[in-house]
Amino acid sequence: MQRPDWAPETIDIERPSVARMYDYYLGGSHNFAADRAAARAMVEAVPEAPLMAQANRAFLRRAVQYLAQAGVRQFLDIGSGIPTVGNVHEIAQRIDPESRVVYVDVDPVAVAHSHEILAGNEHATVLQEDLRNPEAILAHPEVTRLLDFTRPVAVMIVAVLHFVPDSDRPEEVLRTLRGALAPGSHLVLSQASEEGRDGTGERAEAERVYRRTDSQLWIRSRAELTALFDGFELVDPGVVWVPQWRPDSPDQAENAERAVFMGGVGRLGG
Amino acid sequence: MGDDATRCRPGAFARAWAKAVSGTSYLPMAQAQLEEMLQRLTERLAQALRAEPFDLRIGQQVGAELVQAHIASAEGLGRTVEVIQLRLVRDLDLVVDDVEDRMARLLATVATGYARALRDRTLDEQESIRRAAMMARAQAERALRDSEARFRHQATHDPLTGLPNRTLFTERLTDAITAPGRGADRVGVCFLDLDRFKVVNDSLGHQVGDSLLVTVAQRLHRALGEHLVARLGGDEFVILVERTAGTDDAVKVAEAALAAVREPALVDGHELTVSASIGIVERPVAGTSPMDLMRAADSTLHWAKAAGGARWSLFDADRNRRELARYALSAAIPAALDRGEFYLDYQPLTSLRDGRVLGMEALVRWRHPELGVLRPDSFIPLAEETGLIVRLGSWVLAEACREAGTWPGPDGDAPFVSVNLAVRQLHRTDLVTEVRGVLGRTGLPPHRLQLEITESTMMSTVVEPVRALRVLGDLGVRVAIDDFGTGYCNLAYLRDLPVDELKVAGEFVTGLRAPGSGTDERILASLVSLAHALDLTVTAEGVETADQADRLRAIGCDAGQGWHFGRPGPAAPHLGRVPAHVDAAP
Repeated sequence: MQRPDWAPETIDIERPSVARMYDYYLGGSHNFAADRAAARAMVEAVPEAPLMAQANRAFLRRAVQYLAQAGVRQFLDIGSGIPTVGNVHEIAQRIDPESRVVYVDVDPVAVAHSHEILAGNEHATVLQEDLRNPEAILAHPEVTRLLDFTRPVAVMIVAVLHFVPDSDRPEEVLRTLRGALAPGSHLVLSQASEEGRDGTGERAEAERVYRRTDSQLWIRSRAELTALFDGFELVDPGVVWVPQWRPDSPDQAENAERAVFMGGVGRLGG
Repeated sequence: MGDDATRCRPGAFARAWAKAVSGTSYLPMAQAQLEEMLQRLTERLAQALRAEPFDLRIGQQVGAELVQAHIASAEGLGRTVEVIQLRLVRDLDLVVDDVEDRMARLLATVATGYARALRDRTLDEQESIRRAAMMARAQAERALRDSEARFRHQATHDPLTGLPNRTLFTERLTDAITAPGRGADRVGVCFLDLDRFKVVNDSLGHQVGDSLLVTVAQRLHRALGEHLVARLGGDEFVILVERTAGTDDAVKVAEAALAAVREPALVDGHELTVSASIGIVERPVAGTSPMDLMRAADSTLHWAKAAGGARWSLFDADRNRRELARYALSAAIPAALDRGEFYLDYQPLTSLRDGRVLGMEALVRWRHPELGVLRPDSFIPLAEETGLIVRLGSWVLAEACREAGTWPGPDGDAPFVSVNLAVRQLHRTDLVTEVRGVLGRTGLPPHRLQLEITESTMMSTVVEPVRALRVLGDLGVRVAIDDFGTGYCNLAYLRDLPVDELKVAGEFVTGLRAPGSGTDERILASLVSLAHALDLTVTAEGVETADQADRLRAIGCDAGQGWHFGRPGPAAPHLGRVPAHVDAAP
């Protein structure tokens, strides 16, 4: 998976990209035929897929609003995907135009698109890097230019971690990121889970779909996800189905497990 | 619409609408914001229903605004149509004439505006993602090109000094030769090597050595900026001098390079003064090749080194030809041994007392298929340089012993055979084993073998070889010191060596020819008496005349060797020689 830095990935729009599939689930048109075909196959296997994406996006929005209201003004969104609607910078800068946002994605098309969207925004930028290289992300000149790690930073890893297998040591990635953060910083995490869902073969089918992309699915339980918040204090209500995380209205949290994703927000104390 | 905002308190219809569309697509806002927005649109719809005449634009704008607010899905439109149709008039308590007709037209305009906006948005997004893909591809290609450039730089430059490396130099030299520009019909190459660089490395460490190389590289680059300076590896550098008008141009560059290196250098706190040697080749590009040039420059560099370093040497075709010939000759020795191209001639060592042939020195000859018979001085030094002397020497020893074993004469009476031993042979640990083996195989009694070792070899000989000679001496093998008097052999030292005979160098004997050469004669006389005092016999080499033989006999010299007694040749004629009074014609 790791490529030497002198051999960039080729841009192959014939190959589905998880970022563009996600855009399709959200109702966007920033996608190509291959992405749509893969996304449709996914919906076939897991009919809730679009709902999952929307619920995640809504979770992201509520989390950013929560953090901005809590005074966080710096955001590092890793695995940001195609910036369609309701991006972190739109939400955060609506609350404080000085809010700083760095997007990170591994998909070069997503990054190029983000560049276009962010053109002229002094306080937001995007860079191409892999979540699995946290050192490279933290040392990236754009990151060090925009973010001040002596002050609170919110690290967002939303709907990404299920593409990172245990063998890539996600807990170490998070430890590295945590090591760079000042007290008052936050971690926003969500990923696909099968907590309490009975095996209906959906998972196998979903995994089969994602084998067509560069990414594989790694489902994690609530306990596993909670363990990834090691070092952070979980903000109420902890790790839950994402619609249950501080919903706008109680009825939005109904049938929350249909969203498949669990997530939470942790705060770095001290 | 700003003035509307204050009035926007969502009514029952707006709330029902919000509920209907939420979940149809991702809505980047909270429920309350959605309801507020839909309340605003509700008022526009009510306005449209009432407006006289009917205004197509209002419904279309509402449709477009829904899409802009990201209520942008087929379901979103469907539910919107449904909720308007079912509830708008009722919830808002509207009283409108011809309501069915108006409602149908309103829904048509909303759907039209919605579909048009959704189509536009889809097209925009498609264009934007395609542009992003193109940009990403362009960026990836640029990154690839950059990395290729970086890769190429790495592949063509020396990481230590940053100078071009052999690859780049060879490319440039090849270009200069195969595609010379106008006025570039000659080219020069200066091969530079630091003198005694190893000493710096060994005494001050590799780090200092590396720093010195970096300093030298910088200086060369600065001094010869216009010419390509490359590092070939180690402390070897090379300079490409293009468009030379003649040898002088290349020599000037070499002198500038030597001057640049000569400046004392402060390296890691050490003041180092280094010098360099340079081999220069300068010639027309026509008829040469990069490999030729590099090879010529390399061997020329070795001439500069051999001449003591801190200088340049200019390529000399004749000298090179000779060296190449020598090289070819030495390379041919192993095959020549296999093919039996070597043979031995013999020259007698004759007793000055009674003219008897005491022994015969074996002299190796090479019957070269193309060059004819070669004398040892044309190939022995080469064989010594390359180490082939060991194999050749073994063959000579074995062959000499074999032949000597066939010489007639009652056992103990036949002449001994005297074989030259090179320094490398002497240093071999299995010398004793080898000599024993040869004697065993040939049946030659040990006292009929004499080993000749040059004075300088003897003087440079350390403990082990001396022990080997002593073992051989104890076996009965004779040991002679060859070319005695040409070095600085300490006679007292001879006392401790297992030596039986001194062979006095021909130079002393030559001196006997001239009248009044009293000094040489006195030196010889004292040499002989000293040797006798040490119980050594003395053979004079290079005896060419009867007069010399007479004088040597008078001095007390034991034996003579030279044209006077017999030229080198097959053994048989010498063996048949009648002793004493009959001298063979020279």
